[in-house]
Amino acid sequence: MSPRLSAADRVIGLIPWVVAALFGAVAIHLLAVLSLPALAPGASFRKLALPLAPGEKALLPRAAAVSGGSAFADPFAALALCRFDLAQGPLRVRASADGDHPASVSVRLADGTIIYSANDKQTPNGKFNVLVVTQAQADALDSAQDNTGQTGASGGGDDELRLVSPSARGFVLFRTLSLRAGDYEAAAAARGGFACSVEKPAP
Amino acid sequence: MNGLRALPFAAIAALALGLAATLAALQGDPPFGAVEIGPWTTWPRVGDSEIDPYARAVLAASGALPLGSGEGLAFIAKTDDSGAALDARCDYRISGGAPSARFWTLAAYDVDGRLRPNAANRYGLSSATLLRDSGGGFTVDASRDAQPGNWLPLGDKSRFILVMRAYQQTSSAVTGALDGLVLPGITREGCS
Repeated sequence: MSPRLSAADRVIGLIPWVVAALFGAVAIHLLAVLSLPALAPGASFRKLALPLAPGEKALLPRAAAVSGGSAFADPFAALALCRFDLAQGPLRVRASADGDHPASVSVRLADGTIIYSANDKQTPNGKFNVLVVTQAQADALDSAQDNTGQTGASGGGDDELRLVSPSARGFVLFRTLSLRAGDYEAAAAARGGFACSVEKPAP
Repeated sequence: MNGLRALPFAAIAALALGLAATLAALQGDPPFGAVEIGPWTTWPRVGDSEIDPYARAVLAASGALPLGSGEGLAFIAKTDDSGAALDARCDYRISGGAPSARFWTLAAYDVDGRLRPNAANRYGLSSATLLRDSGGGFTVDASRDAQPGNWLPLGDKSRFILVMRAYQQTSSAVTGALDGLVLPGITREGCS
Protein backbone atom coordinates (compact mmCIF):
# COMPACT_ATOMS: atom_id res chain seq x y z
CA MET A 1 0.00 0.00 0.00
CA SER A 2 1.42 3.37 -0.97
CA PRO A 3 1.69 6.24 1.57
CA ARG A 4 -0.75 8.25 -0.60
CA LEU A 5 -3.44 5.60 -0.31
CA SER A 6 -2.82 5.30 3.36
CA ALA A 7 -3.45 9.02 3.87
CA ALA A 8 -6.67 8.78 1.88
CA ASP A 9 -7.77 5.87 4.00
CA ARG A 10 -7.14 7.86 7.13
CA VAL A 11 -9.21 10.77 5.83
CA ILE A 12 -12.04 8.44 4.89
CA GLY A 13 -11.80 6.87 8.31
CA LEU A 14 -12.31 10.28 9.92
CA ILE A 15 -15.53 11.03 8.07
CA PRO A 16 -17.78 9.12 10.49
CA TRP A 17 -16.21 11.00 13.39
CA VAL A 18 -16.74 14.35 11.69
CA VAL A 19 -20.37 13.43 11.05
CA ALA A 20 -20.72 12.28 14.65
CA ALA A 21 -19.18 15.53 15.89
CA LEU A 22 -21.65 17.55 13.82
CA PHE A 23 -24.62 15.58 15.11
CA GLY A 24 -23.27 15.95 18.63
CA ALA A 25 -22.89 19.68 18.13
CA VAL A 26 -26.49 19.98 16.99
CA ALA A 27 -27.67 17.95 19.99
CA ILE A 28 -25.64 20.06 22.44
CA HIS A 29 -26.89 23.24 20.82
CA LEU A 30 -30.53 22.20 21.09
CA LEU A 31 -30.06 20.99 24.64
CA ALA A 32 -28.44 24.29 25.62
CA VAL A 33 -31.19 26.37 24.00
CA LEU A 34 -33.95 24.33 25.64
CA SER A 35 -32.37 24.26 29.09
CA LEU A 36 -31.22 27.87 29.23
CA PRO A 37 -34.56 29.35 30.38
CA ALA A 38 -34.43 27.11 33.46
CA LEU A 39 -30.74 27.59 34.16
CA ALA A 40 -29.92 31.21 33.28
CA PRO A 41 -29.19 33.08 36.52
CA GLY A 42 -30.61 36.30 35.10
CA ALA A 43 -33.87 34.78 33.88
CA SER A 44 -36.83 36.65 35.28
CA PHE A 45 -38.30 33.70 37.17
CA ARG A 46 -35.03 32.79 38.84
CA LYS A 47 -34.07 36.37 39.58
CA LEU A 48 -37.38 37.90 40.62
CA ALA A 49 -39.81 35.16 41.60
CA LEU A 50 -37.83 32.27 42.98
CA PRO A 51 -36.79 34.12 46.17
CA LEU A 52 -40.49 34.57 47.03
CA ALA A 53 -42.70 32.08 48.82
CA PRO A 54 -45.67 30.94 46.73
CA GLY A 55 -48.40 33.55 46.97
CA GLU A 56 -46.07 36.18 48.39
CA LYS A 57 -46.24 39.51 46.60
CA ALA A 58 -43.22 41.61 45.69
CA LEU A 59 -43.13 45.14 44.35
CA LEU A 60 -40.44 45.70 41.77
CA PRO A 61 -38.39 48.90 41.89
CA ARG A 62 -38.96 51.61 39.33
CA ALA A 63 -36.82 51.31 36.25
CA ALA A 64 -33.94 53.74 36.41
CA ALA A 65 -30.56 54.16 34.83
CA VAL A 66 -28.64 53.12 37.93
CA SER A 67 -30.85 50.88 40.00
CA GLY A 68 -31.21 48.25 37.37
CA GLY A 69 -34.41 46.25 37.49
CA SER A 70 -35.21 44.15 34.47
CA ALA A 71 -33.53 44.79 31.16
CA PHE A 72 -35.52 47.11 28.91
CA ALA A 73 -37.93 47.98 31.72
CA ASP A 74 -40.43 50.72 30.95
CA PRO A 75 -39.92 53.76 33.21
CA PHE A 76 -43.67 54.36 33.13
CA ALA A 77 -44.57 50.88 34.41
CA ALA A 78 -45.01 49.89 38.04
CA LEU A 79 -44.72 46.15 38.48
CA ALA A 80 -45.64 43.64 41.14
CA LEU A 81 -45.42 39.87 41.01
CA CYS A 82 -46.07 36.74 42.96
CA ARG A 83 -44.77 33.23 42.47
CA PHE A 84 -46.84 30.10 42.14
CA ASP A 85 -45.93 26.52 42.80
CA LEU A 86 -49.02 24.51 42.06
CA ALA A 87 -47.61 21.50 43.88
CA GLN A 88 -48.53 23.46 47.00
CA GLY A 89 -52.00 24.31 45.75
CA PRO A 90 -53.76 26.52 43.21
CA LEU A 91 -52.95 30.20 43.14
CA ARG A 92 -55.73 32.75 43.41
CA VAL A 93 -54.96 36.10 41.79
CA ARG A 94 -57.13 39.10 42.33
CA ALA A 95 -56.34 42.47 40.86
CA SER A 96 -58.19 45.61 40.02
CA ALA A 97 -57.39 48.72 38.06
CA ASP A 98 -57.91 52.02 39.82
CA GLY A 99 -59.53 53.54 36.76
CA ASP A 100 -56.83 56.14 36.27
CA HIS A 101 -53.94 53.92 35.30
CA PRO A 102 -53.99 51.19 32.66
CA ALA A 103 -53.39 47.84 34.28
CA SER A 104 -52.72 44.30 33.13
CA VAL A 105 -52.08 40.83 34.48
CA SER A 106 -49.93 38.16 32.87
CA VAL A 107 -49.28 34.59 33.97
CA ARG A 108 -45.79 33.35 33.11
CA LEU A 109 -44.22 29.94 33.44
CA ALA A 110 -40.79 29.42 34.97
CA ASP A 111 -39.29 29.21 31.48
CA GLY A 112 -40.75 32.61 30.61
CA THR A 113 -43.65 31.45 28.46
CA ILE A 114 -46.66 33.74 28.88
CA ILE A 115 -49.75 31.59 29.05
CA TYR A 116 -52.24 34.36 29.82
CA SER A 117 -52.30 38.11 29.63
CA ALA A 118 -55.12 40.59 29.71
CA ASN A 119 -55.65 44.24 30.41
CA ASP A 120 -58.25 46.01 32.48
CA LYS A 121 -60.36 46.82 29.42
CA GLN A 122 -60.80 43.12 28.75
CA THR A 123 -62.12 42.17 32.17
CA PRO A 124 -65.40 43.03 33.93
CA ASN A 125 -65.07 46.41 35.63
CA GLY A 126 -61.31 46.23 35.29
CA LYS A 127 -61.14 43.42 37.84
CA PHE A 128 -59.14 40.23 37.53
CA ASN A 129 -60.02 37.01 39.31
CA VAL A 130 -57.80 34.22 38.06
CA LEU A 131 -57.33 30.78 39.57
CA VAL A 132 -54.16 29.12 38.30
CA VAL A 133 -54.40 25.34 38.56
CA THR A 134 -52.92 22.15 37.19
CA GLN A 135 -55.08 19.90 35.05
CA ALA A 136 -55.47 17.51 37.99
CA GLN A 137 -56.60 20.36 40.25
CA ALA A 138 -59.06 21.53 37.62
CA ASP A 139 -60.46 18.00 37.35
CA ALA A 140 -60.77 17.82 41.13
CA LEU A 141 -62.65 21.12 41.19
CA ASP A 142 -64.98 19.89 38.46
CA SER A 143 -65.55 16.67 40.34
CA ALA A 144 -66.30 18.52 43.56
CA GLN A 145 -68.71 20.72 41.64
CA ASP A 146 -70.48 17.67 40.21
CA ASN A 147 -70.77 16.13 43.65
CA THR A 148 -72.19 19.19 45.31
CA GLY A 149 -74.25 20.28 42.38
CA GLN A 150 -73.07 23.79 43.04
CA THR A 151 -71.21 26.02 40.68
CA GLY A 152 -68.08 27.75 41.80
CA ALA A 153 -66.67 24.86 43.79
CA SER A 154 -63.43 26.80 43.98
CA GLY A 155 -65.25 29.53 45.87
CA GLY A 156 -63.93 32.12 43.48
CA GLY A 157 -67.23 33.57 42.33
CA ASP A 158 -68.88 33.87 38.95
CA ASP A 159 -66.21 36.10 37.50
CA GLU A 160 -63.47 33.55 38.10
CA LEU A 161 -61.21 32.65 35.20
CA ARG A 162 -59.75 29.21 35.75
CA LEU A 163 -56.40 28.90 34.04
CA VAL A 164 -54.87 25.47 33.60
CA SER A 165 -51.11 25.79 33.65
CA PRO A 166 -49.03 23.25 31.73
CA SER A 167 -46.29 23.69 34.31
CA ALA A 168 -46.43 23.77 38.09
CA ARG A 169 -44.06 26.68 38.57
CA GLY A 170 -44.21 30.24 37.39
CA PHE A 171 -45.22 33.72 38.40
CA VAL A 172 -47.93 36.29 37.90
CA LEU A 173 -47.01 39.83 36.89
CA PHE A 174 -49.20 42.84 37.58
CA ARG A 175 -48.44 46.00 35.63
CA THR A 176 -49.85 49.48 36.08
CA LEU A 177 -48.84 52.44 33.99
CA SER A 178 -48.23 56.01 34.94
CA LEU A 179 -49.50 58.28 32.22
CA ARG A 180 -46.87 60.88 32.95
CA ALA A 181 -43.58 60.95 34.80
CA GLY A 182 -44.96 62.79 37.84
CA ASP A 183 -47.76 60.30 38.14
CA TYR A 184 -45.60 57.30 38.91
CA GLU A 185 -46.24 57.17 42.66
CA ALA A 186 -49.99 57.01 42.12
CA ALA A 187 -49.58 54.23 39.59
CA ALA A 188 -47.27 52.40 41.97
CA ALA A 189 -49.87 52.70 44.72
CA ALA A 190 -52.38 50.99 42.44
CA ARG A 191 -50.35 47.81 42.95
CA GLY A 192 -52.19 47.55 46.26
CA GLY A 193 -55.09 46.17 44.26
CA PHE A 194 -53.05 43.10 43.36
CA ALA A 195 -53.17 40.10 45.69
CA CYS A 196 -52.21 36.45 45.47
CA SER A 197 -52.97 33.54 47.74
CA VAL A 198 -52.34 29.83 47.70
CA GLU A 199 -55.59 27.92 47.99
CA LYS A 200 -56.24 24.47 49.32
CA PRO A 201 -56.68 21.90 46.58
CA ALA A 202 -60.18 20.50 46.20
CA PRO A 203 -60.60 17.27 48.20
CA MET B 1 -9.31 0.29 17.71
CA ASN B 2 -7.22 3.08 16.15
CA GLY B 3 -10.43 4.83 15.16
CA LEU B 4 -11.48 5.19 18.79
CA ARG B 5 -8.58 7.56 19.31
CA ALA B 6 -10.68 10.14 17.44
CA LEU B 7 -13.51 9.86 19.97
CA PRO B 8 -12.26 12.47 22.47
CA PHE B 9 -11.51 14.89 19.66
CA ALA B 10 -14.97 14.40 18.18
CA ALA B 11 -16.58 14.91 21.59
CA ILE B 12 -14.61 18.10 22.24
CA ALA B 13 -15.39 19.38 18.77
CA ALA B 14 -19.10 18.64 19.25
CA LEU B 15 -19.13 20.46 22.60
CA ALA B 16 -17.25 23.47 21.26
CA LEU B 17 -19.35 23.72 18.11
CA GLY B 18 -22.62 23.24 19.98
CA LEU B 19 -21.86 25.88 22.59
CA ALA B 20 -20.48 28.30 19.99
CA ALA B 21 -23.65 27.91 17.92
CA THR B 22 -25.74 28.53 21.05
CA LEU B 23 -23.82 31.66 21.95
CA ALA B 24 -24.15 32.96 18.42
CA ALA B 25 -27.89 32.25 18.31
CA LEU B 26 -28.54 33.97 21.62
CA GLN B 27 -26.60 37.14 20.88
CA GLY B 28 -28.92 40.07 20.45
CA ASP B 29 -32.48 39.60 19.29
CA PRO B 30 -34.66 36.53 18.88
CA PRO B 31 -33.66 35.03 15.52
CA PHE B 32 -37.15 34.14 14.34
CA GLY B 33 -40.56 35.74 14.08
CA ALA B 34 -39.55 39.37 13.69
CA VAL B 35 -41.95 41.84 12.11
CA GLU B 36 -40.36 45.00 10.74
CA ILE B 37 -42.18 48.29 10.32
CA GLY B 38 -39.77 50.91 9.02
CA PRO B 39 -36.85 51.07 11.46
CA TRP B 40 -38.92 49.34 14.14
CA THR B 41 -38.94 45.61 14.86
CA THR B 42 -41.27 43.61 17.04
CA TRP B 43 -41.62 39.93 17.90
CA PRO B 44 -45.36 39.41 18.39
CA ARG B 45 -45.07 35.78 19.47
CA VAL B 46 -42.86 36.44 22.48
CA GLY B 47 -46.00 37.60 24.28
CA ASP B 48 -47.96 34.37 24.08
CA SER B 49 -47.63 30.63 24.49
CA GLU B 50 -46.47 30.22 20.87
CA ILE B 51 -43.05 31.69 21.67
CA ASP B 52 -40.28 29.69 20.02
CA PRO B 53 -37.46 28.11 22.06
CA TYR B 54 -34.83 30.49 20.71
CA ALA B 55 -36.81 33.58 21.70
CA ARG B 56 -37.42 32.04 25.12
CA ALA B 57 -33.70 31.45 25.55
CA VAL B 58 -32.79 34.96 24.39
CA LEU B 59 -35.24 36.49 26.87
CA ALA B 60 -33.99 34.27 29.68
CA ALA B 61 -30.42 35.29 28.99
CA SER B 62 -31.33 38.99 28.94
CA GLY B 63 -33.61 38.90 31.98
CA ALA B 64 -36.23 40.95 30.16
CA LEU B 65 -39.94 40.81 31.00
CA PRO B 66 -41.69 41.05 27.63
CA LEU B 67 -45.21 42.34 27.27
CA GLY B 68 -47.93 39.73 27.05
CA SER B 69 -50.03 39.88 23.91
CA GLY B 70 -52.95 41.08 26.00
CA GLU B 71 -50.84 43.86 27.44
CA GLY B 72 -49.33 45.39 24.36
CA LEU B 73 -46.49 45.28 21.89
CA ALA B 74 -42.94 46.56 22.14
CA PHE B 75 -41.10 47.89 19.09
CA ILE B 76 -37.34 48.23 19.05
CA ALA B 77 -35.30 50.50 16.79
CA LYS B 78 -31.55 50.21 16.48
CA THR B 79 -31.24 52.26 13.33
CA ASP B 80 -32.76 55.38 11.82
CA ASP B 81 -34.85 55.47 8.67
CA SER B 82 -31.73 55.26 6.49
CA GLY B 83 -30.50 52.14 8.23
CA ALA B 84 -27.63 53.86 10.07
CA ALA B 85 -27.06 52.74 13.66
CA LEU B 86 -28.46 55.09 16.29
CA ASP B 87 -25.69 57.17 17.82
CA ALA B 88 -26.10 59.64 20.67
CA ARG B 89 -23.56 61.96 19.08
CA CYS B 90 -26.32 62.74 16.61
CA ASP B 91 -29.73 64.36 17.01
CA TYR B 92 -32.84 62.54 15.82
CA ARG B 93 -36.34 63.64 14.95
CA ILE B 94 -39.02 61.07 15.63
CA SER B 95 -42.30 61.96 13.99
CA GLY B 96 -45.15 60.66 11.93
CA GLY B 97 -47.75 58.13 12.86
CA ALA B 98 -48.33 56.67 16.28
CA PRO B 99 -49.52 53.19 17.11
CA SER B 100 -53.24 52.69 17.58
CA ALA B 101 -53.17 52.04 21.27
CA ARG B 102 -54.72 53.24 24.48
CA PHE B 103 -51.35 54.53 25.59
CA TRP B 104 -47.78 54.38 24.37
CA THR B 105 -44.36 55.18 25.72
CA LEU B 106 -40.98 55.87 24.17
CA ALA B 107 -37.65 55.39 25.93
CA ALA B 108 -33.95 55.19 25.06
CA TYR B 109 -31.72 52.39 26.36
CA ASP B 110 -28.13 51.28 26.32
CA VAL B 111 -27.48 48.22 24.22
CA ASP B 112 -27.65 46.12 27.40
CA GLY B 113 -31.17 47.35 28.13
CA ARG B 114 -30.45 49.98 30.79
CA LEU B 115 -32.05 53.39 30.67
CA ARG B 116 -29.70 56.18 29.62
CA PRO B 117 -28.36 58.27 32.51
CA ASN B 118 -28.97 61.94 31.87
CA ALA B 119 -28.82 65.16 33.87
CA ALA B 120 -32.52 65.83 33.40
CA ASN B 121 -33.47 62.45 34.91
CA ARG B 122 -35.96 62.09 32.11
CA TYR B 123 -36.11 58.53 30.89
CA GLY B 124 -38.96 58.51 28.46
CA LEU B 125 -42.00 60.15 26.96
CA SER B 126 -45.59 59.03 26.93
CA SER B 127 -48.48 59.64 24.59
CA ALA B 128 -50.37 61.31 27.42
CA THR B 129 -47.92 64.16 27.81
CA LEU B 130 -46.69 64.84 24.30
CA LEU B 131 -47.04 68.30 22.87
CA ARG B 132 -48.96 67.95 19.63
CA ASP B 133 -49.62 70.11 16.63
CA SER B 134 -53.08 71.22 15.59
CA GLY B 135 -53.54 68.06 13.53
CA GLY B 136 -52.71 65.81 16.44
CA GLY B 137 -49.28 64.97 15.10
CA PHE B 138 -46.16 65.06 17.19
CA THR B 139 -42.42 65.41 16.91
CA VAL B 140 -39.94 64.07 19.43
CA ASP B 141 -36.40 65.42 19.44
CA ALA B 142 -33.97 62.80 20.73
CA SER B 143 -30.73 64.48 21.63
CA ARG B 144 -28.00 64.70 24.26
CA ASP B 145 -28.72 68.42 24.55
CA ALA B 146 -31.93 69.89 25.92
CA GLN B 147 -34.49 70.71 23.25
CA PRO B 148 -37.73 72.69 23.37
CA GLY B 149 -40.89 70.65 23.05
CA ASN B 150 -40.84 66.87 23.26
CA TRP B 151 -37.25 66.15 24.26
CA LEU B 152 -35.97 62.63 24.78
CA PRO B 153 -32.52 62.84 26.43
CA LEU B 154 -29.96 60.40 25.05
CA GLY B 155 -27.21 60.62 27.66
CA ASP B 156 -23.55 60.40 26.76
CA LYS B 157 -22.83 56.87 25.59
CA SER B 158 -22.81 56.64 21.83
CA ARG B 159 -24.86 53.61 20.84
CA PHE B 160 -28.44 53.44 21.96
CA ILE B 161 -31.72 51.68 21.27
CA LEU B 162 -35.21 53.15 21.14
CA VAL B 163 -38.16 51.18 22.46
CA MET B 164 -41.75 52.19 21.78
CA ARG B 165 -44.41 50.30 23.70
CA ALA B 166 -47.99 50.32 22.54
CA TYR B 167 -50.22 49.30 25.43
CA GLN B 168 -53.59 47.80 24.70
CA GLN B 169 -53.05 48.22 21.00
CA THR B 170 -55.89 47.72 18.58
CA SER B 171 -53.82 45.72 16.07
CA SER B 172 -53.83 42.05 16.82
CA ALA B 173 -50.51 40.73 17.99
CA VAL B 174 -51.90 37.23 18.21
CA THR B 175 -52.80 36.95 14.58
CA GLY B 176 -49.84 39.01 13.50
CA ALA B 177 -52.18 41.41 11.74
CA LEU B 178 -49.82 44.32 11.98
CA ASP B 179 -50.14 45.49 8.41
CA GLY B 180 -52.12 48.60 9.24
CA LEU B 181 -49.94 49.61 12.13
CA VAL B 182 -48.28 52.98 11.77
CA LEU B 183 -45.14 53.91 13.63
CA PRO B 184 -43.11 57.12 13.55
CA GLY B 185 -40.07 57.58 11.39
CA ILE B 186 -36.62 58.27 12.84
CA THR B 187 -34.64 60.92 10.98
CA ARG B 188 -31.06 61.86 11.72
CA GLU B 189 -30.76 65.62 11.97
CA GLY B 190 -27.07 66.22 12.54
CA CYS B 191 -24.06 64.96 14.43
CA SER B 192 -21.51 66.62 16.66
